[in-house]
Amino acid sequence: MSKELIRLRDLCMAYDDELVLDHLNLYINDKEFLTLLGPSGCGKTTTLRIIGGFTTPGSGDVLFDGVRINDVPPYKRQINTVFQKYALFPHLNVFENVAFGLRMQRREDPADPKRKVKLPEEEIQSRVLEMLEAVSLKGFENRRTDALSGGQQQRVAIARALVNRPKVLLLDEPLGALDLKLRKDMQIELKRIQQQVGITFIYVTHDQEEALTMSDTIVVMDKGSIQQIGTPEDIYNEPKNAFVADFIGESNIIDGVMVRDKLVQMYGRQFPCLDGGFTENEPVDVVIRPEDIDIVPVEQGQLTGVVTNVTFKGMQYDIIVDFRGFKWLIQTTDHSPVGARIGIKIDPDGIHVMKKSRYSGLYGDYSSFSDEYDELDAAEPEEGGDET
Amino acid sequence: MKRRRRIGSRALTALVFLFLYAPILLLIVFSFNKGNSNIVWTGFSLDWYKSLFQNRLIMRSVYTTLLVSLLATAIATVAGTFAAIGFYSLRRRSRTVLSTVNSIPMMNADIVTGVAMCLFFVAFFTFWGDFSVWFNGVQSVVVLPERLTLGFGTLLIAHVTFNIPYVILSVGPKLRQMDKNLVDAAQDLGCTWMQAFWKVILPEIKPGIASGALTAFTMSVDDFIISYFTAGSSSSTLAMTIYGMTKKRVTPEINAVSTLLFVTVLALLVVVNLREARAERSDAERHPVSRKLTRLLDTPKGRLFRRGAGVVLAASFLIAVVLLTGATNAQPVVNVCSWGEYIDEDLITQFEEETGIIVNYQTAESNEALYSLLKSGAGDYDVVVPSDYMISQLIEEDMLAELDYGQIPNYALISERFKGLTYDPQERYTVPYAWGTVGIIYNETMVEEPITSWSALFDDRYAGNVLMFRNSRDAMATALSYLGHSLNTTDEAELREAFQLLKDAKNRGVYQSFVMDEIFQKLEGGNAAIGVYYAGDYLTMLENNEDLRFVIPEEGSNWFMDAMCVLKEAPHYEEALSWINFIASTEANLANMDYIWYASPNQEALEQYPAYYEELYGEELDQETYDIIAAPAETLDRCEAYLVLPLETRKLYNDLWTELGI
Repeated sequence: MSKELIRLRDLCMAYDDELVLDHLNLYINDKEFLTLLGPSGCGKTTTLRIIGGFTTPGSGDVLFDGVRINDVPPYKRQINTVFQKYALFPHLNVFENVAFGLRMQRREDPADPKRKVKLPEEEIQSRVLEMLEAVSLKGFENRRTDALSGGQQQRVAIARALVNRPKVLLLDEPLGALDLKLRKDMQIELKRIQQQVGITFIYVTHDQEEALTMSDTIVVMDKGSIQQIGTPEDIYNEPKNAFVADFIGESNIIDGVMVRDKLVQMYGRQFPCLDGGFTENEPVDVVIRPEDIDIVPVEQGQLTGVVTNVTFKGMQYDIIVDFRGFKWLIQTTDHSPVGARIGIKIDPDGIHVMKKSRYSGLYGDYSSFSDEYDELDAAEPEEGGDET
Repeated sequence: MKRRRRIGSRALTALVFLFLYAPILLLIVFSFNKGNSNIVWTGFSLDWYKSLFQNRLIMRSVYTTLLVSLLATAIATVAGTFAAIGFYSLRRRSRTVLSTVNSIPMMNADIVTGVAMCLFFVAFFTFWGDFSVWFNGVQSVVVLPERLTLGFGTLLIAHVTFNIPYVILSVGPKLRQMDKNLVDAAQDLGCTWMQAFWKVILPEIKPGIASGALTAFTMSVDDFIISYFTAGSSSSTLAMTIYGMTKKRVTPEINAVSTLLFVTVLALLVVVNLREARAERSDAERHPVSRKLTRLLDTPKGRLFRRGAGVVLAASFLIAVVLLTGATNAQPVVNVCSWGEYIDEDLITQFEEETGIIVNYQTAESNEALYSLLKSGAGDYDVVVPSDYMISQLIEEDMLAELDYGQIPNYALISERFKGLTYDPQERYTVPYAWGTVGIIYNETMVEEPITSWSALFDDRYAGNVLMFRNSRDAMATALSYLGHSLNTTDEAELREAFQLLKDAKNRGVYQSFVMDEIFQKLEGGNAAIGVYYAGDYLTMLENNEDLRFVIPEEGSNWFMDAMCVLKEAPHYEEALSWINFIASTEANLANMDYIWYASPNQEALEQYPAYYEELYGEELDQETYDIIAAPAETLDRCEAYLVLPLETRKLYNDLWTELGI
């Protein structure tokens, strides 16, 4: 990709003795769409606020284009932000909201370089109108912001930030308040805008699907540290640990033992896989995505279990299968009735072996990230099931 | 059953409202009364409002009140708003603690706040005095004033202090309602914090600031107790002046000013509530006209207009404040503390016009109240007008300044009879102001025979119909007179005997109540048959109730002299002498005698009064009335003046009075 724009070096941050950022290191490239993904309290918003200049890190450096900007106030950074719930100015109409940043700008007077002058009104007019058109809000100039729908407010917030032509746009859970359909549309819209203006977007969300859809790079965070950095494909297909596997998509995470390279043992059975580089008989976590499991007749199955629950999801069925007390989630287009005994088969490329980490054993049964989970302490298992 | 209960609850509600508003309604109605009674309606008139606006004492205190309220509101609003923003940005725990601390001054009894502030100021002034003496001693570049006193400055500080919590309380919720990210957003878009405050925070919390300011203003206008303790002698707020006036009795003039105060505060409250109600209504329901106006004001031209209007308003406010404060500070002043309704106020105006000296005229309730005011250091007076025995005490305690009689030529006009009296035998400290006698005032229609003796005050036939003095010296004097003892006796047995007489009568239910100036209402209204009070006040009561009679009992009574003195620490000694000289003149004495109906000590005035009266009212002054105002020599011979009592006896008085349990 292109050149590096922002570097975070060894950032630490604590509120009331609670570590929010734990030696965070990260670089962000120019024109990149980077997403900070993680549950609430993972430090993603703090990271964003440090980049924006609203929070000063406890220690560590923030470099912008190679220059340390720790002490540069927000209004001097070439960075603009789209805030959670938009933070539109309620006493100003749409036009004035978008024009706010331009009205604050001062530039050198062409006639007298020592003097700073305001932008000419005509320029403000044309830039605001142009920007409103870009976000499909032409004709809304005189509306009060509270008379707009959520999606429209969202676009005003984006226009208000982008009209200043920043080098970086920060977006703090900008789609959180929208309904599902609108959210999907806005995801595409945001990606389109990013490509159109060609600047760096740093996007904060706890919604893995949003992250996967839009990002060039995803940074998965938890408890103030980065768990994994990679493209959406990398993150999804090769999660580094149980946390990432659980957080990104739905997974069955099973205790296993690496017999040797390319052979892992679960439930006393050995499964061929593609992973290597472990010591012999090393205990590992094994991740199997629900869609990577094929249902086969009992006699052909590598494992057999009983169907306990079937949910129709439109594209597929979500089937819960009980293997000796441990419940797996399987996504398949084939229907199996509850109570049926089935066999399953997993291709070697469907098995992802991970080193044991601090997250091992936290996710009992099948697990999937949900909003309820968001409310709970990140350390608490989503389902209180015992492992067998 | 259910129905009956509902009627009952409605009646209760009605009763509650009746109790709440009937008194105020009565006050408002009687402010339009033609006569000067608060009981008898004699017709509609606006005379009391007219006289109100001509009353310089009231008008000056209105001015003081407005000035202090406006300034205090302005300062408290700015300080409170920033304090609220400071609170808001704190962590929740510290914020909760601070909010509680903030609400304590509002919950705290005003009297505690007032006394505490008074103590604090006086303590500070003492410290300042020492400091400035030292400071002026070690250098001579800057000369610090060595003596600071309570006054407009301390009043303003006190008002600002008690107003700030109200501003914080009303701005706080607006801040919490505000989207937390708004300030960040403004800074993100190029604002410094201060710019963000003006462009984003201020428009958001403006309703809170406005209602905070209105509440603060209302509280300021309203306040009496805290002002009373912090205003000192040179400033008096409207509430303080009203209080001073009520010491004598509630005149319809007070009704008028109270009505205006009530209406003002009510109007402010309505404005506050309307604002809040409007803010709660959703903007969508806004009136089209106001929406149009908003849009109009949002155009660049409109903004310019708004900004211009704001600047003009602020500037005119500042100019007004500067002019008003300048006007009062440039002139010489004299601070006078006297009794309520004890001067013809035209004299004050006249003196100010003649000399250019501004008179700050205040009143105290009694000699004892004046004494404690002076002792506490809260009173910063030049001239006081205590009674004979209190003068002795003040001289004894070295609190009075010797007078330069060379600057008081009118002292020569004082009758020789009233010079060199026991309280000031060498004529060094005092110039007599007015004198009078104490006697029994009774309602002819409510007694069996004309009263001639003090025995009426201890007589079971009038049980429940007698009003006794509510101060120990005067009350004991009635019993001592009756028993034939000296009013200045120090003999414990005699005092105990007199006390027993009072106590028995009290226990037998002779006394309806112990009163001071409430006696006016009670006797005028025919609510009591017999009372004991001052001769001059009897004539005032007679105007409102023709059945009243006055008698100096055959056993004799008390006569008193009130004299003008200058306090030792008086900051305006020269002005004080001018004032005393002016008041001692024959013209002033005549005017005062006519106004207050106490006798003048000025020989010419005493002689000329009947003629003065006839010229003024077109009718002859009858001898009987004249003798009541100025008791003839043979009556005075039967009367005794109070002397200052030895400490032991004063203590005994105190103990006995406490035992009486009033």
